[in-house]
Amino acid sequence: MNEETSGSRKLRCDDTSKCFELLESILDGEMGDPGKEVLKEKLAKCQPCFEHFHLEQAIREVLKNKCTKQEVPKELAQSIREKLHDVK
Amino acid sequence: MSEVQRRKYSQVEKNSIFDGEFMPHIDSMYNFAYRLTFDEDDAKDLVQDTYLKAYRFINSFEQGTNAKAWLFRILKNSFINEYRKKSKQPAKVDYQEVETYYNSDDVDFQGTTDLRAESVKDMLGDEISNALNSLAVDFRTVIILCDLEGFTYEEMAKILDIPIGTVRSRLHRARNLLKEKLKGYAQHMGYDTEEEE
Repeated sequence: MNEETSGSRKLRCDDTSKCFELLESILDGEMGDPGKEVLKEKLAKCQPCFEHFHLEQAIREVLKNKCTKQEVPKELAQSIREKLHDVK
Repeated sequence: MSEVQRRKYSQVEKNSIFDGEFMPHIDSMYNFAYRLTFDEDDAKDLVQDTYLKAYRFINSFEQGTNAKAWLFRILKNSFINEYRKKSKQPAKVDYQEVETYYNSDDVDFQGTTDLRAESVKDMLGDEISNALNSLAVDFRTVIILCDLEGFTYEEMAKILDIPIGTVRSRLHRARNLLKEKLKGYAQHMGYDTEEEE
């Protein structure tokens, strides 16, 4: 067991693969309230989990806010309505 | 989500569903289509075909259920069946290679310390977009659905016709691949990473 600590957090995570996947599910809002409890504990106790969580959170934010939205061609809605009119 | 025609809507009802529940999603649909095809004309055709199909199969849509997920599922299937065939991008083959590779537990992303949240926050929209666009289509798709469109795992499972467990693990792998790309950008742009080249 690696019980070295940084402040109160351990520096090595015993199972990053499992923990990180769990953290991602929590960030995606899939774990509900129990997820929040698990998260609090992990962030308080495990440095790799703490860092992974903040990295994942940053990535989600930039994806949501900075990924350029493609401008929708103005004629698209009209052209759909016209095509639809033909098949009705 | 079922294909069974369980309704028989009147013409007035059909129009009201189409205008009230389908058309409001046109922006998200076009953005999804564009991120799949990378081409404005293909994206337009894909969205148009999707809406025409949605109208044709409107009786299998249950009013009041999630129209956006229903439409995304049709769009995704149209893309696979028609557009992927003619598009130049590599299809299934390299995705499977990648998925098998990343299925192995020990190939997990090792980089919590060499990609920093701060570097990611400093990146430009174009860098993020390019990193996302460079992922194989199945990985790109789960990230678009989850992070850009805000679908739940359950909705994604229905849109993609895969079990929820597969959604979760595919997302995890997609995010690992995305982080590798972002790490590449961070190093290239001279952002602060702890790894020495």
